[in-house]
Amino acid sequence: MTTTQTPAAPPARAAAPTKRRPKRQREGAAWVFLSPWVLGATVLTLLPMVVSLYLSFTDYDLFNPPHWVGLRNYVQMFTEDPRYWRSVMTTLTYVVIAVPLQLALALVVALALKNMRHGKGFYRSAFYAPSLLGASMSIALVWRALFNDGGTVDHLFGNGGWINRPGWSLLAVALLTVWQFGAPMVIFLAGLQQIPAELYEAAAVDGAGKWRQFVSVTVPMLSPVLFFNLVLQTIQAFQVFTPAFAVSAGKGGPADSTLVYTLYLYDRGFVASHMGYASAMAWVLLLVIGAVTAVLFRTSRSWVFYASEGDR
Amino acid sequence: MPGHRTKGFCASAAALALCAVLAGCGGSGESAGGGKVVLRYTWWGNPDRAARTEQAVALFEKQHPDVRVQTSFSGYDAYKQKLAIQATGGDAPDVMQLDYRQIDQYASGHVLLDLGKVEDTLRTGEIDPGLLATGRVDGKQYAIPQGRGTETVVYDVKAWKASGVPLPRKGWTWSEWADDIRELARKTGRPGATDPGQSEDAFEVWLRGRGKALYTKDGGLGFTADDLAKWWTFTDRLRREGAVSPAEQTTQLDGSVENTPLGRGKATADFNWDAPSSGYLALIPTGVALAPMPSGDDGTPGQYFKPSMFLGIGAHTGHPEEAARLIDFLLNDSGAAKILGATRGIPVNETIRERTASELKDFDKTVSDFQASLEGTLKDPPQAPPSGDNALQTTFQRDYDQVSYQRMSPREAAKNYVTEAKAELRS
Repeated sequence: MTTTQTPAAPPARAAAPTKRRPKRQREGAAWVFLSPWVLGATVLTLLPMVVSLYLSFTDYDLFNPPHWVGLRNYVQMFTEDPRYWRSVMTTLTYVVIAVPLQLALALVVALALKNMRHGKGFYRSAFYAPSLLGASMSIALVWRALFNDGGTVDHLFGNGGWINRPGWSLLAVALLTVWQFGAPMVIFLAGLQQIPAELYEAAAVDGAGKWRQFVSVTVPMLSPVLFFNLVLQTIQAFQVFTPAFAVSAGKGGPADSTLVYTLYLYDRGFVASHMGYASAMAWVLLLVIGAVTAVLFRTSRSWVFYASEGDR
Repeated sequence: MPGHRTKGFCASAAALALCAVLAGCGGSGESAGGGKVVLRYTWWGNPDRAARTEQAVALFEKQHPDVRVQTSFSGYDAYKQKLAIQATGGDAPDVMQLDYRQIDQYASGHVLLDLGKVEDTLRTGEIDPGLLATGRVDGKQYAIPQGRGTETVVYDVKAWKASGVPLPRKGWTWSEWADDIRELARKTGRPGATDPGQSEDAFEVWLRGRGKALYTKDGGLGFTADDLAKWWTFTDRLRREGAVSPAEQTTQLDGSVENTPLGRGKATADFNWDAPSSGYLALIPTGVALAPMPSGDDGTPGQYFKPSMFLGIGAHTGHPEEAARLIDFLLNDSGAAKILGATRGIPVNETIRERTASELKDFDKTVSDFQASLEGTLKDPPQAPPSGDNALQTTFQRDYDQVSYQRMSPREAAKNYVTEAKAELRS
């Protein structure tokens, strides 16, 4: 994680050599232009992070001043809270379902759009639309109605709706995420268009069929984009909140089957008023996502092909 | 673009996305409008209560042209969550409806205004001192009950009569209730009642029928895992037999009558508080009736008169005087009393209660008669629940979900609950 210092006005140094001045001034201007972001990052991200780190070692009910309890929150989390581990398992299941499905769908649609002659712009927008809508509460509520008993899915499959069945509810939540495949799709599309056409021509001359071209040209050339999407979507999936919250009406039910990590965090912090415990949960989540990301980067060495590095 | 996508770029994008999780929340707002004092007044309830409250508020605004009241309401579960977040963010409404189990937490958490500061405006002289005292914490009045409620078995009269099963009667025991529910399910082909296993309230009635209580005098847990396992084994068996609602139905309960099996036409009876049961009438036009809760097997009554639907003022309100005037109006104004009837229970102002008792009609009269029939037969209410109970009510539902979806045995879930409850009450 990159940290940034607050912009300190460069001290006016009368004695400074005049030669250095222009650069200093340019730096000053850079800080001025950066200031909206720097201020935002400091006040809205960095500061709350520091506070939450402190709170994670306290017992804090949001009403009375926090008091220091050392590692108690962490100990309780790992050794005395069965619901915590259930939320961890639920989140992992969710990540494993939602991320590959979403990326696969995004890639398939991007491939289909790439070779389209007419109406490409329209379909690209149409497929992207859910990404704009999907994060909203209202769509999540529509989702809840669709998958509730008496809803559309119930009428189609007649199994009483998914959201009241512990084995199915998480899938309904995951599908809401998968449906918002527009963002990775657009990135895939951009990546596909960057692949030089002569590579395909050369492959065709060598007698490679469509599948062979996909495996030997598209996949390696697209691997940096694939990796980028994989990392971003994985990080986002670990932090999933809105769909699970809305689809389960804020409870993570039935039988905790949609109680994903952040939903349990919210429950501990804001419903049960244990903000210290919730902060500790947030930090563990940060460390875990960091570790997972590091592992992804490590494995990327063996399958991500950077064309620019290959040129060197 | 992707050609330039280097590891460094990926790494920093990843880092940024990561940070999002830790940046928390915040923010508060102060509303003001058109030279008038604007009060926010929130409550939970059903559409019937909402319509009547809006009417009463309109009357208040007419009498006080300098005040505008912004109202909002929702079902109890949603209300509880929303209020918790507003309260912790220092953004509690000016006037709010509170449950018995929220008073201790919000009073000691400095969310509520000490009503002693506005006692000149907010008159409490005509409220029974014992009832009034239920809104006190550490000797200070933080909230005032608007009525008292008691739990009831509410049932679809037509369906129950048509089944031929003898109607619910005073003094029936839990095992008689269970037999009737089984018989109902057999005759009607649908569950007899909502599964009471998920309800901490129903459990409390059952527990009191056995001479125990949810909490001890010093705020500890008043029962053991054995007691809870016994209750959940009892309800679990009824559910397996199809006598009470299946898990898929039970899990949809959210404190609103619309989402109860009875309200959805999937059961014949339900457990609820008496006043909110008026909401069923809109869903079951042929009528509902109220019956007493089942007693312990030796006849010990478990239900009690609970002070209900307190009103409190936000500690950070900019208009304590106007807020107090609104509460005073809702409690003591005869015009308001006429509109509100018994939608929040029988009025607490004794003069008004006497004057309006004969004027109560429709469901208000049903509630009034129901309470009168129990007068003198019930045991004293327990003291105010400890702070942790607010969260434990939800934990109770969740742990029972594990039983009703057959993911845990009643005993296992009961042990879990007792562990969680002890941790909650300790902190």
